Amino acid sequence: MTVDSLFILNTSGTSVIQKHWCDDVSIRRASLVVVPAFTKYLRSFAAMHDAEPVWSAPLDTVCIHIQRKELVYLGIVSQEIPPLEVLELLEGVDQALTEYIGLLSEVTIKENFTTVYQLLSEMVDSGCAVTTDTSVLRGLVPVPSLVNRVIENVSGIGIGTEKRPDVNTSSTPWRAQGIRHTNNEFFVDIVEKIDAIVNSNGSVVSYDVSGDIGCKSRLSGMPDLLLALNRPEVMDDVAFHPCVRINKWENEGVIGFVPPDGQFKLASFHVATDASPRILPIYVHATTTRQELARTIELSAEVGQCGGRPIEKVQVRVPLPSQAYNIRVQCKAGTYTVSNGRTSQVEWFMKTLKAGDRSSRLVIQYFVRQSAVTNAVAGNSSPQAVSSDQDMAQEAFVDFEVAGYSVSSIKVDSLKLMRESYKLFKGVRYITKAGSFQVRF
Amino acid sequence: MMNSTIQTNIARLQIMKAKVLAALRKGENYELKTELNSEYKERRKEAVRRVIANMTVGKDVSSLFTDVLKNMHTDDLEIKKLIYLYLINYAKTQPDLVILAINTFVKDAEDTNPLIRALAIRTMGCLHVQEVLDYLCDPLHKCLKDTNPYVRKTAVMCVAKVYDLSVDVAEDNGFVESVREALSDSNSMVVSNAVSALVEMNDMSRHHDVWRLEANTVGKLLTAINECIEWGQIAILETLVDYTPRDEKEAENICERLLPRLQHANGSVVLTTVRLLLKYEKHVHRADLLAQFSKKMVPPLITLLSSDPEIQYVALRNINIILQRHPKLLSKEIRVFFCRYNDPIYVKYEKLDVLVRICSERNTEPLLNELKEYAKEVDMDFVSRAVQAISRLAIRYETAAENAIKVLLELLETRANHIVQSCMVALQDILRRYPRRFDSLVDGLCEYVDDVNEPEARAALIWILGEYSESVSNISNILTSFLESFLEEEDSGVQLALINAAVKFFLKSPQQGQTLVLKALQTATEKCANPDVRDRAYIYWRLLSADPNAARAVALAEKPAIELENVDLSPQLLEELVNELGCVSSVLQKPARLFVYSLAEKAGVPRDSGISAMGLDDADSVAAGAGDAAGSSSAGIDASNEGEPELLISF
Repeated sequence: MTVDSLFILNTSGTSVIQKHWCDDVSIRRASLVVVPAFTKYLRSFAAMHDAEPVWSAPLDTVCIHIQRKELVYLGIVSQEIPPLEVLELLEGVDQALTEYIGLLSEVTIKENFTTVYQLLSEMVDSGCAVTTDTSVLRGLVPVPSLVNRVIENVSGIGIGTEKRPDVNTSSTPWRAQGIRHTNNEFFVDIVEKIDAIVNSNGSVVSYDVSGDIGCKSRLSGMPDLLLALNRPEVMDDVAFHPCVRINKWENEGVIGFVPPDGQFKLASFHVATDASPRILPIYVHATTTRQELARTIELSAEVGQCGGRPIEKVQVRVPLPSQAYNIRVQCKAGTYTVSNGRTSQVEWFMKTLKAGDRSSRLVIQYFVRQSAVTNAVAGNSSPQAVSSDQDMAQEAFVDFEVAGYSVSSIKVDSLKLMRESYKLFKGVRYITKAGSFQVRF
Repeated sequence: MMNSTIQTNIARLQIMKAKVLAALRKGENYELKTELNSEYKERRKEAVRRVIANMTVGKDVSSLFTDVLKNMHTDDLEIKKLIYLYLINYAKTQPDLVILAINTFVKDAEDTNPLIRALAIRTMGCLHVQEVLDYLCDPLHKCLKDTNPYVRKTAVMCVAKVYDLSVDVAEDNGFVESVREALSDSNSMVVSNAVSALVEMNDMSRHHDVWRLEANTVGKLLTAINECIEWGQIAILETLVDYTPRDEKEAENICERLLPRLQHANGSVVLTTVRLLLKYEKHVHRADLLAQFSKKMVPPLITLLSSDPEIQYVALRNINIILQRHPKLLSKEIRVFFCRYNDPIYVKYEKLDVLVRICSERNTEPLLNELKEYAKEVDMDFVSRAVQAISRLAIRYETAAENAIKVLLELLETRANHIVQSCMVALQDILRRYPRRFDSLVDGLCEYVDDVNEPEARAALIWILGEYSESVSNISNILTSFLESFLEEEDSGVQLALINAAVKFFLKSPQQGQTLVLKALQTATEKCANPDVRDRAYIYWRLLSADPNAARAVALAEKPAIELENVDLSPQLLEELVNELGCVSSVLQKPARLFVYSLAEKAGVPRDSGISAMGLDDADSVAAGAGDAAGSSSAGIDASNEGEPELLISF
């Protein structure tokens, strides 16, 4: 038994739904003692997401949790088990529920609780994770949809009786027999993400490229595909969908697989650090100045190296320190928003950024609350020496997308179809995106 | 008067409200009862949904038991599942009524649809009621031999539930034996479930003799693992942890066959594989193979760090342990561990630990610059850890000391309160580690005399001043001003540091220091309430008046260089945690018997007290250089002060 109990809580710690695989005493212990203690633990953090995901809870239990949007998924454990297993399971529950229900919230979960319950009992049997693969789950639990409900209500016939889900027990559990499509299509998306930290002087502190090969398959029968890439050696650490024959990849460097139907992630990879020069598709510069209580940040964005393509969906987010007030922004290109929460932030959007765009600048000006400065100066004999960095914004987070460009220059060489004889329409797209892209001031 | 009438009225209203609500609730159950017996199928279906909805939010719907049961006989799978859920929930409180449902279960277990057969057998197991056992045996026999693997794999899990209810029933009917046979099933899902069931029964059994992993089974499992989905792979990998290979050849073979698992998208598969490799590599001696294992382990570990923060955290805690076994494993990957601004704080702390651990002499410079950036962040705790990391690097690598000091001085210039405190302590440690090398900077530190407002930082600055009194221009004034607030000082550590500093200053320049030291010793002996401080002052006083040379030998003795306090786990605990790599214990970094109740009883460990006994080091105190830490300069004293052993306590 891996997990004793699974709770989905809202952000204030109230249980939205719970399921148990343990005896009555443990159930009562979990809901009367452990969960309240856990809620208290979460509240003890100023920012809830700073709570450690593995927490040694009262009564010899361990609380393992993840936080996703408005919900907290909590697994209660009383054995020596791998927490990653629980974390991956909770993540899988979140993904399956999202796929079934759409936008997850306390309300939508309660509205669809029968589906949630059915899913949970298929995903976990006697406390052990059984499956989290939604293509398998779809065969076991019908997807709730407005259409299904309407048909049921009008005709009085349950969809479940008409199209009874059937288990697929073939040697390819991810693909059912007898799939038919009128047009046979297969699309490959190579999406690469750049994680980088760039220093104020433009030097790159850390740089990392990882990518996903996403596929959309609409193929009939039992197709067997062979996908060859131009530089497989650049891919450092590849994790494959279970449909991929790992030995073939190890020996020949090609990806052989019988694809699941629909959308799926074929592989995720990491680009070997020595194989990738540190290419930055976008440069963001910042100059900061301070004058008495005023602070000014001038941002400019420029196209870097990206095969001459325009950069799309540029978004620069600058969190401001808590002392900032009276924030004013001047924007020469694109649009911006200023949000005032516990701490304020400025967001700058540009639909496209082309090479040679000179006017893409943004100036942020704000004032620092007097009290903050005096506190810093207190007991300080030389006020002009106050250069505390605490009241200056520290960094910007940059988001962007470059379509048709692969930063690692990994390309699809060929895609061959075997075992089936129909004509297949192929499509390949490349996208380079920002992962966690951070520019320090 | 008015108030009390209002209050009674409110109370009355509340009682009425409660009554109305109760009536409504009763009404709802009554309404549901009618709906459940409706002649329209859709209305019955909706009613069942609502019953389950009420059940999940904790409302009592047990009174509807018989009405719900009437709907059980349906070919609508969703309704069937929901009713089964209802039964599982109320079976324990109403076991007699469950018997009413048995016929349907038995019938369902022979349905033409394998999904329904599996559902029936799974639910009967989950009911967990003795009364059901007798009715369960026949269907279970059939399902274990079912043609459909989905049914077989469900039946296998059901055996573990039967075993939990009654060992005798499970053994006598040959169910346990059937599960052992299922290990050779043609379907990998059945195999992995059989493994899970056997492990579970083994844990439940009194002598843990239900099953032992044999060499020939290992081969079978390693073949099955290739076809399993992730959760099946995890189940199989976890059982392999308890297997000891017979010889080197077998260990090599197992490791080779495990390597492809490192390429799995599921982090748990990856980490459990790493755990197995670390376990089995002890039996492998071929250097080329060992190097290959290490090389293959690195990329997947790095990849875990680009997952969600929760997974990163578990990965980092484990990487910390792996590094104590293989210190060089990740030394080329230092940049991967650089903190991101939006990392949760628990990820930042772990990254910081790993960074200091894997930093080699070559890359101290980029890391120091990085740490400087961290020291500017808002979270004060993180800042002080970052500053502490700077001093740890300087203490470890002599070549990094100068750079580290440069960074610390730059940070001091920000004058941000919490940065100044941490930097001062860090500087003291570095100066202590490299005596007489950075004299020139000490004078500049006096600028911060008014900024050090935390005791530890103040003690640190006073220690530096005493140690380097000859390099400070207006030392006498500074010490005097500290002395003025001597009695208001709440922390005895600062007082002790001040006495020490005064004595050192006097011994180095007797003429300037005379008044100061007298005042210090006088105040301490006559007015101070703390006996430790008083005693220290007496000792110095007598020592100074009896034999100044001896005093010099004591107070100005060369101190042994401080070293980094061992932040590693004790070898015994490390061994234990490597074996449990990826498990809860390796994340909490304490052995399982301290938090798993059943294990604790078995081991007879006094609860919660075993942590210190196991040698869990307090990772917070890093550098041993708390200035004149007790006993650290005993060597210097022994030489010159025979016959006065009590002096040992004071330096």
